[in-house]
Amino acid sequence: MRYEIRVDGEMSDELATAFPELKTSVVPTQTVLYGPVDDEAHLYGLLVRFQSLGLRVAEFRRIPD
Amino acid sequence: MSYRSGSHEGSDGRGGRVVPVGVTPDGDPVLAARLTVPTVPETFVRRERLVEQLAEGAGRPLTLVNGPAGAGKTLLVADRVAACEPGTVAWLTVESQDSAPGVFWSYVLHALRHHGIAVPEYIRGPARPGEVDHSLLARLAAWLNGRDSRVILVLDEFDRVAGSTAVADELQFVLRHAGDGLRLVIISRTEPLLPLHRYRAAGELVDIRADDLAFRAEETAALVDLHGLPLSAEAARTLTERTEGWAAGLRLCALAAQRAADPESFLNDFEAGHSTVADFLLGEVLRAHPAETQDLLLRTSILEKTHPDLANALTGRDDAEPVLETLQRTNAFVEPLGHSWYRLHSLFAEILRVHLRVRHPGLEPELHRTAAEWLSRAGLLDEALRHAADAGDWELAAAELVGHLAIGRLLTGLAAERLDGLFAQMAPEASGPAPDLVRAARELAHHDVDRGVTYLRRAEENLPERGTDDAAAVRLSCAVLRVLAARVVGSADLAETAARDAADAEQDLPADRLERSPELTALMLTDLGSAQLWAGRFDAARATLSAAVEAAQGLPTAFPRHEALGRLALIDYLHGRPGQAEAHARDAVAEAERSGLPVSYRTGMAQLVLAAVAVDRYDLTAAEEHLDLAAATSAAARDPLVAVELAILRSRMLVARGDSRAALPALDDMTRQPLVSAEPSPWVSDRIAMATAAAHLADGDPKAAVKVFEEQPLHSPESRAAEARARLAAGDGERALRILDGLPEPHDQGPAVDVWLLLTRAQVVEATTGDSPAAEGLLLRALAAARPHQLRRPFLEAGPWLGRLLRRRPALAREHTWLTGALAPRPAPAPRREEPARPLTEPLSARELDVLERLAQLMSTEEIAADLHLSVNTVKTHLKSIYRKLAASRRGEAVRRARELGLL
Repeated sequence: MRYEIRVDGEMSDELATAFPELKTSVVPTQTVLYGPVDDEAHLYGLLVRFQSLGLRVAEFRRIPD
Repeated sequence: MSYRSGSHEGSDGRGGRVVPVGVTPDGDPVLAARLTVPTVPETFVRRERLVEQLAEGAGRPLTLVNGPAGAGKTLLVADRVAACEPGTVAWLTVESQDSAPGVFWSYVLHALRHHGIAVPEYIRGPARPGEVDHSLLARLAAWLNGRDSRVILVLDEFDRVAGSTAVADELQFVLRHAGDGLRLVIISRTEPLLPLHRYRAAGELVDIRADDLAFRAEETAALVDLHGLPLSAEAARTLTERTEGWAAGLRLCALAAQRAADPESFLNDFEAGHSTVADFLLGEVLRAHPAETQDLLLRTSILEKTHPDLANALTGRDDAEPVLETLQRTNAFVEPLGHSWYRLHSLFAEILRVHLRVRHPGLEPELHRTAAEWLSRAGLLDEALRHAADAGDWELAAAELVGHLAIGRLLTGLAAERLDGLFAQMAPEASGPAPDLVRAARELAHHDVDRGVTYLRRAEENLPERGTDDAAAVRLSCAVLRVLAARVVGSADLAETAARDAADAEQDLPADRLERSPELTALMLTDLGSAQLWAGRFDAARATLSAAVEAAQGLPTAFPRHEALGRLALIDYLHGRPGQAEAHARDAVAEAERSGLPVSYRTGMAQLVLAAVAVDRYDLTAAEEHLDLAAATSAAARDPLVAVELAILRSRMLVARGDSRAALPALDDMTRQPLVSAEPSPWVSDRIAMATAAAHLADGDPKAAVKVFEEQPLHSPESRAAEARARLAAGDGERALRILDGLPEPHDQGPAVDVWLLLTRAQVVEATTGDSPAAEGLLLRALAAARPHQLRRPFLEAGPWLGRLLRRRPALAREHTWLTGALAPRPAPAPRREEPARPLTEPLSARELDVLERLAQLMSTEEIAADLHLSVNTVKTHLKSIYRKLAASRRGEAVRRARELGLL
């Protein structure tokens, strides 16, 4: 499964290291994270990680492999 | 914040044992921090609209404060709690380990008591981490419901146990049944698994959500103003938009602006920027602090709570105290917990950890290791283990567990499952005696003896030389596990050798260290006594088990004490002392009740002994109840003694009910089944043989009974008497008499054995010599011995000769009405036992059980419907289905059947 997650705000490079398994690209006012998600546990784990770092998830979608 | 700890010491005043309430069941002294209401900083903005919402919550059972990290949930509630009367609000900050229901409820009880709510002792507490006795929750709810004043229970950070349906269900149950006595406030990042829609529909829920928590522009202005930065209405509006009213963002923003050279342009720049709010602002605030402060914050971000000394250990400096004090004074990041402990806001800690990894790659495990060592020295084992595990240093973690003499906590007590889970991650490379001891304990706890013994051997080969405390701790832990392994294989010799090694190692340890781990000694003694009992060393077993019972009281030793008492009861029973057996068995049950051991975790031995005594009195209904309770325990399958006694008792019940033929197959199974133990017990097989012979005899087949004794010669007085009865029935009275004459004068026999011996002799004398006066004399003595304990079975199963004798002596019959009352309507041979409560073919649904429960409370259909928020018709449908499943046609019948089946 591959996912694309958009969070509000432009993430610093340092903060992006909290998601080493995802690639990051900063677009105006948002950061796009994308990459493989192993399973549902990983998916929920990611959500918790965003939340615990105070990041606001704007969009979360599965993309074709 | 002061700790109100004075009110919860002392006993329950009813002669019960005192559980020290000041310490958690698994001895976590940092607990106080979790029960403390967080302090509200001076810069907190009280927002009336939210205060009103919370006030509204006081009238409803449930208040939910839901929002993302840093939304200001905790402070909102903490501010209100500070305004409440002491003794009306309890606060608990939930942690992830609390998803084990037993742990969760033990902390809830702690929180209530800590906050001056005198939860009575009879409510007790859970004894197992993974499970909580439902009756405990019912008692708690009923007590809350019956109080004059209500309790507000605040559960902060509830999202940490969001995945536990058990905890949610149990909370729901307590909330429902506590009526007006309980108000629940749940603070959580995610919605709890409670049936919120139902509470909402019934108007029983106050919902405070992210939108409510978000700051409005005028509130933003007030907050920034408190930081000494006047803000125009327009600027406040823009800032609110930029942060979406997020409290943590606003607070950081104000702090960063305070320190900026030009606050106004800082705010303008921030508003115009697009960076992620928290990370950016945190970076800004950090930059404003001196390098030492930044370094301290980064390094202590790996801790949940920090202490100046611990922080110094992590930074390698000695300035933590002033730094932490300054941070607290300026309301940046840290919050005081009292007793010099501080907590970092979890959102900031998360972000700081990310920065730590970037700035100091590879430092994190080292910090965890240093923290583990410091915490271990401070006696905070639980926290130390967590950090040792995070450091990936399993040798350190295992050494800490063993060094604190805490290996027994893997086997018993509330921490068992958590520790087991922690060490399940242990790397296979971790080597040395301590990791091997931990592995052995885990395998033994999982009943894998072979693997447990393999690890134990490896640990033994690498035992450290005597000399230091730590070496003694390793040797003691190893010896205790060897006793357990010896018990499982049934070797009293090995157990006794290991116990001597344990005593030896104890000599090298300071007494106070041993006292902190009472469960270690209690476990060792119980296992040793069990091995001795299996081997037939009854006197030694009795002494050892009594010592186990005497070992320190309290929750950590509850299970070993329960088990030791049950085995003492068995020893009494085997020696024919029903009175003492019953007393010990009742103590064992009371111990389990008192410490909240769920039925499935109990040993079942006590219930078996109670059943055995009841059978001897011919109280078959009571015996059946005790047998069912014994069979419901997990030990029934694992403990060979329980399995054997269960089979013997079932056969006796069948004989007593006249179905002696059915009694044989189960006993046959027992003889063929190799018992779990490697070493056979000298007396256990005797008991199976005796029961088999008794079943043959009752079945009218004395030859088969005699054959049992010929194949397996037995030597105890009781079994010799049984053989004499079989010989007599088979027509060999002379042989019977010789057997009895060959018996030594009974000594140290309890009345139950005496009765059998006297009665058998009377029967044999009467049959062989026709000497009625001599037989009558013996019978009189048997009656006198049996009377105090109402032992009816020997007489009822003695055969027709007894009836003849009693008919000749009507005075005797009149004098012993306790017996003759039962003797007169002698049950016809082979009557079918009355229809037993048939088990349900289809279980009741949770909803049907809800309805049934209310049915038992004599509620009408309409009342049930109202109480459960259901329509009357739905309730009627449930009722029909309940009647069908219980095969009942009326309410009363359904309730009675449900009670018989233990559903109510």
